[in-house]
Amino acid sequence: MLAVEAHNVTKVFGNIHALDGLSFSVKPGEVFGLIGPNGAGKTTALRIVSTLLLPTSGNVKVFELDVVRDAADVRQIISYLPEEAGAYRYLSGWEYLEFMAKFHTKDRAEARRMVMEAAEISGLGERLKDKTKTYSKGMKRRLLVARALMPKPKLAILDEPTSGLDVLHSYYVREIIKGYVKKYGVTVLLSSHNMLEVEYLCDRVALINKGKIVAEGEPQELKEKFGSTNLEEVFAKVVKLA
Amino acid sequence: MLKGFGNFLLKELKELVRDPKILLGMIIVPLVMFPFLGFVINYAMKSAQEKAAKAALIVVDNDGGYWANNFTETLQMAGMSVFIERNIVLSDENITGLLSKYNVAQILEIPRGFNDTINKYLGGQHVSIKLNFYGVLSTIGAFESMGSSVIDAWIEQFNRRIAPNVVAVEKSTIIKGKVKRGVDPAMLSGLLMYQSIALPVTIMILLTYSVQIAATSVAMEKEEKTLETLLTLPMDRLSILWGKLSGSIIVAAVGAAAYMIGYSYVLGSIMSGVPANINLDLAALELAPSFYGYLLLGISLFVTILSALALAVIMSAFAEDVRSAQSLVGYIYPIVFLPSFALMYLDINTLPLAVRIIFYTIPFSHPIIASKAIIMGDYWTAVFGIIYVSAFTMVVMYAASRLFATEKILTAKLRFKKKGKHGEKQLRNSSKTFHKKAPQPISR
Repeated sequence: MLAVEAHNVTKVFGNIHALDGLSFSVKPGEVFGLIGPNGAGKTTALRIVSTLLLPTSGNVKVFELDVVRDAADVRQIISYLPEEAGAYRYLSGWEYLEFMAKFHTKDRAEARRMVMEAAEISGLGERLKDKTKTYSKGMKRRLLVARALMPKPKLAILDEPTSGLDVLHSYYVREIIKGYVKKYGVTVLLSSHNMLEVEYLCDRVALINKGKIVAEGEPQELKEKFGSTNLEEVFAKVVKLA
Repeated sequence: MLKGFGNFLLKELKELVRDPKILLGMIIVPLVMFPFLGFVINYAMKSAQEKAAKAALIVVDNDGGYWANNFTETLQMAGMSVFIERNIVLSDENITGLLSKYNVAQILEIPRGFNDTINKYLGGQHVSIKLNFYGVLSTIGAFESMGSSVIDAWIEQFNRRIAPNVVAVEKSTIIKGKVKRGVDPAMLSGLLMYQSIALPVTIMILLTYSVQIAATSVAMEKEEKTLETLLTLPMDRLSILWGKLSGSIIVAAVGAAAYMIGYSYVLGSIMSGVPANINLDLAALELAPSFYGYLLLGISLFVTILSALALAVIMSAFAEDVRSAQSLVGYIYPIVFLPSFALMYLDINTLPLAVRIIFYTIPFSHPIIASKAIIMGDYWTAVFGIIYVSAFTMVVMYAASRLFATEKILTAKLRFKKKGKHGEKQLRNSSKTFHKKAPQPISR
């Protein structure tokens, strides 16, 4: 059983083809990265997998569940972190986590366990008592990453998890993801235009350009195939070839 | 119950209550608005009193003596148009005929024995006499019955000048052609004014508050980038819609209560001129709704608020941020204000058919129309109004639930400007203008 199976997916907005026959698959327990420049179609692809958008054609399955037909069931097993996600300004970090945990479980003890775990992952400590409007961008992102991971989803979909963060916060968030995945064996589908980050986090990557996958494989495999020292170089070569 | 509704509603209430913008609107606005309203009403009352001092009056002089003439002349010298009739025994039947003969709204009867009583007082005896005042109740103009207080003023002046504490007045009100003895038209008019103004004002406030709160809370989810996360959570998407609607209703109701406290304070200060020991039972005078009337009014108000909220949720779903959401729902306000203001003073049944149709079409007119109809004992108008507004609400709610069930809630956006170059980020939020094929529902 595959964690994600996208087959010939297109998404058309008017006369713009945001996705143009996108196909890829993610194995359970792996960290899979969709990489590409801005406007390549990464966010659209992740939004379709997370049931936010409908594919114009093609199909996507998450652990055998169809994202259109079984949308409600898909939402039971995924957790999505949008690129520009925010938290509720007038809730404290702790209240925000509690609010989110209650959607995943009705058991109070289980919800509390989730929140405690998220609190630990976020590393925000006492600041969790403060309203989220007082948080810096980095703190907010740490809270949101912790929120996305705390229900131990079968599939975590993370859109640009370190987007706009400084070096230290980016490092912290990457460590959170890496540690959590190792600990619980969660499948992760993430997008990034930061090739170095992807190389560090992902078991396999797919290079996406103009709504199509232009190369797919393990980072090392791709570097060897294109005779490059890093994924950035691979991407430049692939795009040039295309 | 919808999955996740309770949790979401709790979050909504916390957010709404903690938002200083909402608290500011609830506290600051009443503090500024109501003293201003009080000033305006007081000014209007003074103008009405001045006008009433020069109004027309029938004096039925059944005495014909010197002091009766003296009293009548005093009124004439003060600028009132006085029509004098003599020796008529006033009955419920001939009072209305007399009023329509001169086309005036008030009668003062000077009874037989008036002259003798004054003379006896001047001779040193302790005596008193009552004049009879009849005023037509008008519910259209807010301060039409000022004539009653003007008569009070003249009697007081006559007493002070000639015979202290001798002359008093017994007032009666003519309602719907029937004479209600012992009821002061000024007080009754004041109470009815309170009813006929308080309700439209409450409705206006409740609707504008609800609309604004609902629009803000939906747009806030977009502006703060929390909507996307919500839509991928394991909850019914309709919980989001119902959570927004319920939270808005609760907070708006609290806000409306705060407004009404301020409002009744202002009206209370205006009504303080009315003697406190006089207790008018509007229900006994068939001028107050029955229990079922109030029930119908409550239902009418509820479905109307729901319709406004659903409309606001739909409109704000097309906005990207709070500011544009508030601008968008601004288009709802005129259709809220128009019936409220107009029906405060106008009787819908006297309006031309085309205008009546316009008012009936606007769902926000119906609680006001219903309140007036119920007072007159016409419950069917209220029932039909409820049916119409419910149907309207169901259509809007259906549209709102479709919006929340599809990707449109995320992508819908009204464009007022020309399209720019399309990058992916622009597309993400603007598929409304690009879609050729309508999105299918993705939530069950």
